[in-house]
Amino acid sequence: MANGVWKIARRGNAQLPLVIVIALAVVLVLVGKAQSGLFDSARTRLTDWMQPMLESVHAPVQSFGRFAGSIGEIFSVYQENLRLKDENARLRQWRNVAVVMQGRVARYQSLLHAVPDPDVNSVLARVIGRASRPFLETMILDAGRTSNVKPGEAVVDARGMIGRIYLAGDRTSWVILLTDLNSRIPVTIVHNDAKVGNTQAIMAGDNTPMPALDTLSRQVHLNVGDQVVSSGDGGLLPPGLPIGTVVGDAGSYRVALLAEAASSEDVEVLAFRRAPETLPPGTSAQLPAVAAGLKPVVPAPVMPVVAPQVAPLTTLQAATRPIPSASQAPLEVAKPGPASDEPPPP
Amino acid sequence: MTLAERFAQMPVLRFFSALVPVTCGMLAVLLANLPVPLFGGLVPTPLLGLVPVYFWCLVRPDLMTPAVTLVIGLLEDVVSGGPPGVWTLSFVLTYALVARQRDSFAGLSGLVAVLGFAAAAAFACACAWLTVAALHGRPPLFAPIFSELAMTVLFYVPATFVIGIIHRHLVGPLRSDF
Repeated sequence: MANGVWKIARRGNAQLPLVIVIALAVVLVLVGKAQSGLFDSARTRLTDWMQPMLESVHAPVQSFGRFAGSIGEIFSVYQENLRLKDENARLRQWRNVAVVMQGRVARYQSLLHAVPDPDVNSVLARVIGRASRPFLETMILDAGRTSNVKPGEAVVDARGMIGRIYLAGDRTSWVILLTDLNSRIPVTIVHNDAKVGNTQAIMAGDNTPMPALDTLSRQVHLNVGDQVVSSGDGGLLPPGLPIGTVVGDAGSYRVALLAEAASSEDVEVLAFRRAPETLPPGTSAQLPAVAAGLKPVVPAPVMPVVAPQVAPLTTLQAATRPIPSASQAPLEVAKPGPASDEPPPP
Repeated sequence: MTLAERFAQMPVLRFFSALVPVTCGMLAVLLANLPVPLFGGLVPTPLLGLVPVYFWCLVRPDLMTPAVTLVIGLLEDVVSGGPPGVWTLSFVLTYALVARQRDSFAGLSGLVAVLGFAAAAAFACACAWLTVAALHGRPPLFAPIFSELAMTVLFYVPATFVIGIIHRHLVGPLRSDF
């Protein structure tokens, strides 16, 4: 094509610069691997600068996408309505079970004087951009450091975890999705059989819709439908975030994600920081048993003197202690498995 | 003397015409990396930045130099968000291949010219795939990079049409010394 249309210029004498430029490119790869912060700051500045344009472009594209997606759904509205009614009835039954279980867990926590889970603050954000490249699956949010969004924080929607913050600019942030090649999340696999203990694993993305479960020992046997939640190891992600369910894949295991990042529009960024553990205090009055209201162990008296008795808390007093609210411990409540269609036990 | 020939004698316009390839390359990179999913996110965005590199490497290598290719590849790395330096190295190596086999590539016409670009794009994608595999210590999937290659080849003809118009009206008349 080029020879027939364009006048071809003479060969450029650029052999020496070409070698130098190739060497520069190789150095760039190595420097980028060692210190990716140089590229990261340029990326966040660019998206911060483009934020108004992205927001204005994203709205009509999103509207067109909804319109195009709804064309095919028009012909299945009746069947979809019946399916949703059936699902709604089953979810109402599961909700009753969840309420009962929540009350039971609250009573157990009260009896055990359990320390409530730390509060998890969240920042609401809107997805203003998505990019699906061969080596990166990402989305861009309209919240950044000015909204206290920090790298590493979990991003969830109403269905489950989507990913975590990868870069945080002033007004925008990049999310690395769970399906991305660079994503590694420590997870806990909650078996449906309560007699079997939980299993720890690493969920690794490989740019497929279902991330793989790595570092499982050969003796571990998982069942299809087992729940996958975040383990909280490392203290960056809150434990118990719903992620997906286990599916088999030719001798290995993968995770069918609950959240669908391609259709998420409004998400939450969870600001979770585990408080550093402190050593036990030196005084006996601050021991955990005393702090919990239990009778301290009194050392054997040297002289027979009558020691004042510390009245233990009665059951009524223990029950009147402040109970952690549902918002403080939402992850401790046993959730019904979405993969199961069976109604709850009576 | 035509208007284009008069413009060709103005040093300022000749200077700006030399910036057209790098400007087009950077605009193509920015356009391809707009974080708006193409076709609902089902297919990846094409490597539009490679089209100006390939085109002007064949037609005017004095304007599309290795340094310009480095800049375009660097911008691709910054805005695409992938591992740093991967597309820079791929673009530069592809430029080296096309520049070495320039007579062969420039002699193609019609559908074979598209296949020539497909070969160059496949080389670029293979370089990027191998670089990422070396960086991560494990090979990434073939399917995403193959989809990107297919989309890039699909967009080559319309992109070349636009670039051809730009070249004919801005670069060619003002830089007619070759």
